[in-house]
Amino acid sequence: MPVAASAIYFLNLRGDVLINRLYRDDVGGNMVDAFRMHIMQTKELGTCPVRQIGGCSFFYMRISNVYIVIVVSSNANVACAFKFVVEAVALFKSYFGGAFDEDAIRNNFVLIYELLDEIMDFGYPQNLSPEILKLYITQEGVRSPFSSKPSDKPVPNATLQVTGAVGWRREGLVYKKNEVFLDIVESVNLLMSSKGSVLRCDVTGKILMKCFLSGMPDLKLGLNDKIGLEKESQLKSRPPKSGKTIELDDVTFHQCVNLTRFNSEKTVSFVPPDGEFELMKYRITEGVNLPFRVLPTIKELGRTRMEVNVKVKSVFGAKMFALGVVIKIPVPKQTAKTSFQVTSGRAKYQAAIDCLVWKIRKFPGQTEPTLSAEVELISTMAEKKSWTRPPIQMEFQVPMFTASGLRVRFLKVWEKSGYNTVEWVRYITKAGSYEIRC
Amino acid sequence: MAPPAQSQRSPSPSQPSGKSEVSDLKLQLRQLAGSRAPGVDDSKRELFKKVISYMTIGIDVSSLFGEMVMCSATSDIVLKKMCYLYVGNYAKVNPDLALLTINFLQRDCRDEDPMIRGLALRSLCSLRVANLVEYLVGPLGSGLKDSNSYVRMVAVMGVLKLYHISASTCIDADFPSILKHLMLHDSDTQVVANCLSALQEIWSAEASTSEEASREREALISKPVIYYLLNRIKEFSEWAQCLVLELVTKYVPSDSSEIFDIMNLLEDRLQHANGAVVLATIRVFLQLTLSMTDVHQQVYERIKAPLLTLVSSGSPEQSYAVLSHLHLLVMRAPYVFSSDYKHFYCQYNEPSYVKRLKLEMLTAVANESNTYEIVTELCEYAANVDIPIARESIRAVGKIALQQYDVNAIVDRLLQFLEMEKDYVTAEALVLVKDLLRKYPQWSHDCIAVVGNISSKNVQEPKAKAALIWMLGEYSQDMQDAPYVLESLVENWDEEHSAEVRLHLLTAVMKCFFKRPPETQSALGAALAAGIADFHQDVHDRALFYYRILRYNVSVAERVVNPPKQAVSVFADTQSSEIKDRIFDEFNSLSVLYQKPSYMFTDKEHRVPLEFADELGNLSIGEAANNVVPTQMVEENDKDLLLTTSEKEETKGSRNNGSAYTVPYDGSSTSVFASQAQIESAVSNPTLAGHSPQASFAIDDLLGLGIPATPAVPSPPQLKLNTKAALDPSTFQQKWRQLPVALSQEISVNPQGVAALTAPQALLRHMQSHSIHCIASGGQSPNFKFFFFAQKFEESSNYLVECVINTSSAKAQVKIKADDQNTSQDFSTLFESAFSKFGTS
Repeated sequence: MPVAASAIYFLNLRGDVLINRLYRDDVGGNMVDAFRMHIMQTKELGTCPVRQIGGCSFFYMRISNVYIVIVVSSNANVACAFKFVVEAVALFKSYFGGAFDEDAIRNNFVLIYELLDEIMDFGYPQNLSPEILKLYITQEGVRSPFSSKPSDKPVPNATLQVTGAVGWRREGLVYKKNEVFLDIVESVNLLMSSKGSVLRCDVTGKILMKCFLSGMPDLKLGLNDKIGLEKESQLKSRPPKSGKTIELDDVTFHQCVNLTRFNSEKTVSFVPPDGEFELMKYRITEGVNLPFRVLPTIKELGRTRMEVNVKVKSVFGAKMFALGVVIKIPVPKQTAKTSFQVTSGRAKYQAAIDCLVWKIRKFPGQTEPTLSAEVELISTMAEKKSWTRPPIQMEFQVPMFTASGLRVRFLKVWEKSGYNTVEWVRYITKAGSYEIRC
Repeated sequence: MAPPAQSQRSPSPSQPSGKSEVSDLKLQLRQLAGSRAPGVDDSKRELFKKVISYMTIGIDVSSLFGEMVMCSATSDIVLKKMCYLYVGNYAKVNPDLALLTINFLQRDCRDEDPMIRGLALRSLCSLRVANLVEYLVGPLGSGLKDSNSYVRMVAVMGVLKLYHISASTCIDADFPSILKHLMLHDSDTQVVANCLSALQEIWSAEASTSEEASREREALISKPVIYYLLNRIKEFSEWAQCLVLELVTKYVPSDSSEIFDIMNLLEDRLQHANGAVVLATIRVFLQLTLSMTDVHQQVYERIKAPLLTLVSSGSPEQSYAVLSHLHLLVMRAPYVFSSDYKHFYCQYNEPSYVKRLKLEMLTAVANESNTYEIVTELCEYAANVDIPIARESIRAVGKIALQQYDVNAIVDRLLQFLEMEKDYVTAEALVLVKDLLRKYPQWSHDCIAVVGNISSKNVQEPKAKAALIWMLGEYSQDMQDAPYVLESLVENWDEEHSAEVRLHLLTAVMKCFFKRPPETQSALGAALAAGIADFHQDVHDRALFYYRILRYNVSVAERVVNPPKQAVSVFADTQSSEIKDRIFDEFNSLSVLYQKPSYMFTDKEHRVPLEFADELGNLSIGEAANNVVPTQMVEENDKDLLLTTSEKEETKGSRNNGSAYTVPYDGSSTSVFASQAQIESAVSNPTLAGHSPQASFAIDDLLGLGIPATPAVPSPPQLKLNTKAALDPSTFQQKWRQLPVALSQEISVNPQGVAALTAPQALLRHMQSHSIHCIASGGQSPNFKFFFFAQKFEESSNYLVECVINTSSAKAQVKIKADDQNTSQDFSTLFESAFSKFGTS
């Protein structure tokens, strides 16, 4: 039994039930009390997302200010349950347009009840595809896809039956302007030692797609990844083109991608769903271009004074620039006074997180601004413990830059009516967990 | 649909009691019920919303049932849905009123709109009122044949719901065979998937009673069905794919070419965006190749990348679920992952449950080539703000040191920890240095130099203090001021709260005395005096024992207390490989997260009182070990110091669990005990290390684990029993299987005995005072079961007893087995006389 969830609860931070849906009788109704008593009101909260109380297991997740709790009584499949929650939240978001929080739930609780009814039956996940569900559950109320205005739209389940595999796209879509937007979003994770050597570094990327295409188009995406290029040159018996190729450690695709064809021909071909979706995810560990180098020197001068010097170097092209750069430099708890000098941006001391926060709104490539700060500490007799230095953390976004070097080589759209399409491609690299020990 | 009303309680004081609001609503609903005015649906909607929101926050609105049903005659689907939801929630507590809804639900089941048919059918099946099941059969039957797949899909789940309300109705209507037909022929994959879920549940539940059902269950994993599903797998939704993959793991292919076919077919599933599908596929691969060692290795290599991707994507909760699985695989085959150790580096902000798993994995994958980097990384964490994680990482360093041959660098690191001047770091490091010295005595010189500088006043944690004291005793010849440190510790005897530390102090002073008698003599005297006056039984006994053995002969005392030691080569594993395999068999489920097989935590095992089985392993040995045989308790205390930290926790855990009937866990922990005992005997007294029960008893005793003196048993002269008999559970189990039953009889239990037998422990203590020891016990009133053993005085002849007591009939069934058949009658008399005194003394 993959899930067979017995109940699902949505609680706010105080533990009030916002929504509950009990699918099965095999757990008592006081399960939510058990959750409040044994998890929410104890230090257990946040120690482990899977907990057993009595004969039941609780899987819980916090999403903004809401706890979503799944209760099971059997030896359930945890990965599946968490994935279900994530997907369900994505579905709700697509209904209320954006935020998923306590207010959104309160405002839409009837809708959520309706959806919970459809996406899970007797504890087994059913259809979670927003494309299909939106046909008969809408925010304005429920519209039956089967009876009302028969000529308007084909029956979705009928579509499923006719076309078999294309459950994520309905037929008969018409757009005046056929457009495709591709977003390549990468996040760089870095762990650098205090001596400046890279301990761990990888990139997780995803390709997000927004499709406004008529009919049933077939799409083919070409990337500069090594295997794909090699395969291509094999097929065309042409030597591979020079230029950077990327080695993808691992790739996963949206269900619309024909995996058999990917495995045999190494091409990404698919019939896209309408609207926005995540086409693929990938992971790279080799040959990562780090957009920033951070060179910290922190000196503790006696007990009450510290000198902090941080130099940040941008190593991407001079014509590019990073946005929203935030560098958080940790300082001891007993910091009393700080003074700064920065060559770019603004810095301030935030006592709440015990950090000097240095913000640079626009950070051009090939530059190296510095921060030098003096930190005065309250001398405390009691605490003679040495300060354990947490790592410096960094946030940034670099548009038109990929840390992996991944590029889209082509995106071909083929539809039987033969219309022209406009394709837009954007790249952006964000900081994942970018940590530099000091 | 949803459950009884009493479940809707909400204790939150901030919520309104809602009484007046409810009666208000009632009035308004009544007004609207008959109205046909335009716009009435809108106002109904508002009211319904209110009702539902009250219901959600836990106000009892069941009193509105009648009105709600009256208002339900509408064509508005939203209204209908809200009404269905309400009805589903309260039908169970209002079965009479629920009858009112049957009518309109049945009518809706025949609606021309398939959506309404489906919804009505779902609600009808969700009423969960047993005496209404007759109304379900008709609509379900036509629902299963409906032309619309939505209705069929709902109907299939309806059958399962019906089965849970009334299994016989469901079977009599022959629904399972209809489902089977649908599963194999329906064009809609969700219908097929639901059939599969339903059939799996129904046939698994029926299989215990009906042979046909168990045949059908087998048929689900037969080749035609599996192939049929596998060939369509791409059409299924991601969730249904998980379901199918789950089923495939149970399938046993006939030959290896079939295995490869299946793996080739499923390989692309490893690239699926849904992590649950990927994990389910991984499980199929692992299970299929279990018997093919080399392919199994390749599978590990193949699944590594997808697993690492899954770990690094998604929410912390999701990655935790995957990480637990990765953890399992890393523990099974660490060498496969040894080059990927950087993936297990912790990030600063990661939740501690993730860090903990990563630390364990880092420990496991350490080998010659990466040890240096891993240990360097672990040392970073020792300064972590999260103290439990900091401790954990120090322990990890220690574990790596115990795994590796080249410990040079690691020892330096550990010694640096000792100098870090943080209490918890010092404490953990001390425990580790102690373990390290037990394995690598050759490092004693370097370690002792540093340990000698640690002031015992700065060490507060009992375990660390005990470790320090152990080292002081063990290496007193190398530590200049060992006798004086010990002496000052003895002076503060009364301030030392931990019995464990006091026990170690006694032993350490003894050891020190043998090496440096003149300097230690006064400390020893003080320690023995304080020990004998100690209120703690074990400390008292040990002191007394030392005192007496010293008086008897000092050189014997030295041989006993401080014999030459052998280095420990391997520290015992905490979890039996059998349990690990079972967890592996349950890959992709909760078992992996809890790190125990499902039978230990699923509902039934927990709530049903222990069923008696003949297997010893099913009884709570741990409990017996705790409460009955004090040797084990004492031994544990002593062993605590000797075990590595995690092992200690493990044994502790099992001790705590002893009282709950988490049965097999105890079984496994006993085997840990047993192996520990052997290791210890090997360490402490190689000359005496025999493994027969007597011999190991002798060691226990010589180690200073005095047993509380029990008054001699007034027993018949012809048979004397050994008051300090010892037998380890595995020997018992083995003997119990081998020996024939010598005697079997029924003894009546006297009323006082029945009264005293509220818990198994009472009898255990009583029997022990008659030199009959319990090795395992279990049960709850009125049924109890015990396994006892006794040994003939000064002979290695054992008596084994199984005793089943029913307190309601006041009878006990006794089976006796004996090594020496001739004396079994005597023993039986003895047993009976001891037993009959239960409750009277």
